[in-house]
Amino acid sequence: MAEEQKQEQTGASAEGPRAEGGQGGQGGPGGHSGPRREGGPRREGGREGGPGGGPGGPRRGKRQYFRKKKVCKFCVEKMDLIDYKRADILSQFVQERGKILPRRMTGVCARHQRWLGVAIKRARNIALLPFAGSAAGSTAPKAVEAHKS
Amino acid sequence: MEERLYDLIFIARPATPEDEIKKVLHSIEHACADKGAKIEKNEHWGTRKLAYRVAKHREGMYYYQQIRTAHGELIAELERRLHVQDSVIKYMTIRLDEDLKRQKKLGEKREKRAARRPRRPAAAPAAAPAAAQEQHAAS
Repeated sequence: MAEEQKQEQTGASAEGPRAEGGQGGQGGPGGHSGPRREGGPRREGGREGGPGGGPGGPRRGKRQYFRKKKVCKFCVEKMDLIDYKRADILSQFVQERGKILPRRMTGVCARHQRWLGVAIKRARNIALLPFAGSAAGSTAPKAVEAHKS
Repeated sequence: MEERLYDLIFIARPATPEDEIKKVLHSIEHACADKGAKIEKNEHWGTRKLAYRVAKHREGMYYYQQIRTAHGELIAELERRLHVQDSVIKYMTIRLDEDLKRQKKLGEKREKRAARRPRRPAAAPAAAPAAAQEQHAAS
């Protein structure tokens, strides 16, 4: 047992009796730094084997932790066009500093993410959204109120 | 020739007198009239905070127009006119008709699908008359 532990820690093999659970899709940047031992007897079928561990084993057991399934907001609302002028909507999909949030964080589908990227870039161009890296104001952009002139 | 739809947004300095703005708007109108373009929307969004500093200003007055034209040169002309105006600190023109076309196409596709295979029995009667109307309009 001790030997096995050692093996796991050195990362020589990830095909131990326990499948190391991948952290789903949402893990931070440090999520997969190495084959670490989790606290409890987790038996999630790892979608990816440990790094360097070859192909992941077959799915075993039931998934114990259910993550709420994220759905694409634009698909739910049946939006076929993402308007670059709606800075209030677009700002939900960027970080405070203006970076576009990845799909895995927001749950947006691939098609809408593509359109969203274009819309955000257009909005940046006309100063409705900040460019990433620029010192942005802390206040969220307000919805555009149109007055007829 | 096929007509295209453009969005034109420009940002004026926050403390621009109204005469100046009117002059800019007139200039745009004049250029559009020359080429036989239609201004479909003309909106004033008021003074908004800019997301970043533009020409040392943190605020700006937004003006938005939608222009339909068959002459692409007009856009270059409008941009040239906005560029030489001192009161305008930022402007942008975007071609919109392709996006709208895609939106229309996807909407029609969705409607068709809903009419063909109603998911819920409650939604079926609502979708059917709409489809019938569409067919009627097509014929």
